[in-house]
Amino acid sequence: MHASSVSASARRAHGSPARRRLHRLTPTRWAAIGFAAPLILYMLIFYVVPLVQNVSMSLHRYSRRTFVTGEAPFVGLDIYKEVLSTNEFWTTLGQTLIFVVVSIVFQYSIGLALAVFFNQNFKLSATLRGIFLVPWLLPPMISGTIWQWMMDADNGIINKFLGMLGIAPVWWLQAGHSLWAVIIANIWLGIPFNLVILYSGLQNISKDLYEAASLDGCNGWQKFWKITFPLLRPVTMITLLLGFVYTLKTVDIIWLMTQGSGTSQTLATWSYAMAFGKGYSSTIRYSEASVVGTLLILIALIFAFIYIGVQRREEKA
Amino acid sequence: MRSSHISVIPTAQKALSCGVAVALVATLAGCGGSSSSAAGSKTLTFWDPYPQYTTGSVWDKQVKSCAPKGWKVKRQGMPQNDVLNNLTTAVKSDNAPDVAVIDNPFMPTAVDSGLVTDLASAGVSTKGFDKNIEGPGIVDGKQYGLAFGTNALGLYYNPAVLQKAGVDPSSIKDWQSLNAAIKKVVDSGAKGITFAGITGEEGVFQFLPWFWGAKGNLAHPDSQAAKEAENLVSGWVRNGWAPKSVATDNQSASWDLMLTGDYGFAENGSWQAAAAKKKGFKSIPIPAKDGGVAPVPTGGEFATLPFHKKADKDRQAAAAQLISCLTSDSELGKTNEAIGYLAAKKSVRDQQVKNDELWAPWVESVENARGRTTDIGMKYESVSAQLSKSLQAALNS
Repeated sequence: MHASSVSASARRAHGSPARRRLHRLTPTRWAAIGFAAPLILYMLIFYVVPLVQNVSMSLHRYSRRTFVTGEAPFVGLDIYKEVLSTNEFWTTLGQTLIFVVVSIVFQYSIGLALAVFFNQNFKLSATLRGIFLVPWLLPPMISGTIWQWMMDADNGIINKFLGMLGIAPVWWLQAGHSLWAVIIANIWLGIPFNLVILYSGLQNISKDLYEAASLDGCNGWQKFWKITFPLLRPVTMITLLLGFVYTLKTVDIIWLMTQGSGTSQTLATWSYAMAFGKGYSSTIRYSEASVVGTLLILIALIFAFIYIGVQRREEKA
Repeated sequence: MRSSHISVIPTAQKALSCGVAVALVATLAGCGGSSSSAAGSKTLTFWDPYPQYTTGSVWDKQVKSCAPKGWKVKRQGMPQNDVLNNLTTAVKSDNAPDVAVIDNPFMPTAVDSGLVTDLASAGVSTKGFDKNIEGPGIVDGKQYGLAFGTNALGLYYNPAVLQKAGVDPSSIKDWQSLNAAIKKVVDSGAKGITFAGITGEEGVFQFLPWFWGAKGNLAHPDSQAAKEAENLVSGWVRNGWAPKSVATDNQSASWDLMLTGDYGFAENGSWQAAAAKKKGFKSIPIPAKDGGVAPVPTGGEFATLPFHKKADKDRQAAAAQLISCLTSDSELGKTNEAIGYLAAKKSVRDQQVKNDELWAPWVESVENARGRTTDIGMKYESVSAQLSKSLQAALNS
């Protein structure tokens, strides 16, 4: 490092090509670099380094001991092969996809319905819209705990309510179907996010279009499918992409309700459990956790690329 | 997860701040060691898993009063699991605390990973302490941690509920008579029994008295004994004698249920003895399958001297002195009373029982308690995971 900088300055002194290149850097360009430097540094320290570290950990066999001594042997893609060859991975992947897809479908459709509803701007609509944001404002710690209480099999309010309707109590958090319990809670948690973004998207659709449609004799249903839905497409796409990424990495609400036990284990909670020795086993599995973490990043990236691709095609069209 | 869950809340916050999948493992270092004080300053850092004892509490004062002359102590409480995880990253980056108090089943792992050092060579006396309690801290003949005391599991009961149901607690001698008693309680209109069956070590800790009570051996976690013990506790859930939430309840959540006064029995630890007394609850030792007292796992933590790459003789000596003071004959009683434990030394323990009859029902359990890792060492981690999985499957069936 030191030697090369010395030789570089030596070359500069002799008017080498490096010097000429340096010469071309005008003061404004220096200023530009100066302004960008904090951002670049920030990205390096907080994004690139952890990411590289994550991938590196998935390629070395770490245990608690080798993590401390720094002697973790490089094993290439062995740990990926091991993780991918377990049944647990594929079951968990399936559960993760169900969790993500079902959550998003309901979050989006309920969020959209509410957004259209509130777009009518009736009296109290602002207040009611505010109330719908509560799940978003509550710390997940609180909402998760409350959902766990409400879904308690013996004393939960949901079962009490079902009992009043004459329906047999449900053991919501039982391992066999705890996935559905956490999906219900997560849908509730995600509706406000969809509502807010879609509502602001609706505000940008010109009222003239609806007026024109009314003159042409469109009913409400037709207006929705011919005007609202197509014009919301760009907003819909970004909502779905963000929702996908948020849902994919959800740990908090699941962990608080079930510790990721039974069918409610997703790739994110599995990775968390292995990285910190939580859940069934207190054994730390840094490498396996990194493998799952890296795969999660890849899945999110694939969807991000699909989004960019679709967006480009739209721009061209 | 009902009222004040000291042990759960910080863990969950950790999940929020660090557990986000993408940056999950990458942030390990970031969530890890809160750095110890700068070398050279005369302050000893002290990590323990008792975040509930804040500055000014009896425990906090006891630790600080044991600071060697010319030294100060900076105490930091954190959740049970986090002590070990944070210590792992702290030792790696060489800013480990001077003393760390580690939960006993983690001792073999801590030793294997080189996180803690030999106590005797640092000058801490380990003589006169009970073998069964100190077991988990001794690896290959060397003692890496000193348990000042222990807690034990027992069977609390609510005399009011039992009386109404016509149950005499002294009739409970084995599983059969226990089941008969629970059934009578439930038939009387009250609720039966609560315990913690949560995934992971906490649930296994509560399961072991039943496993050992059926003559189970940790070297064979898939034996008949495990089946029998699982059938016993999952039978309570199936019969409606225990709430279904036991599968996700930790020990404080299951205690909260007992505190409602609706339940006849609760399996819980001696650390609740004082709270139980206030409520009028009493306790008996956990019965074994065919009679007698079932062995319970030793609970409690070990004081250790973490490893430092750049060893500072003075600091280490001062840290050793701090541990020696907390465990000295004159202080050991106070140290244990501060956290509600029974001392790991018979003479001190006898004095505790003499001073407070609250402890009397626990002595037998403590003296028969077994270390979880004493016999199988590091293998306990995987055995515990296996027990946890099959227990969860049973409780959810």
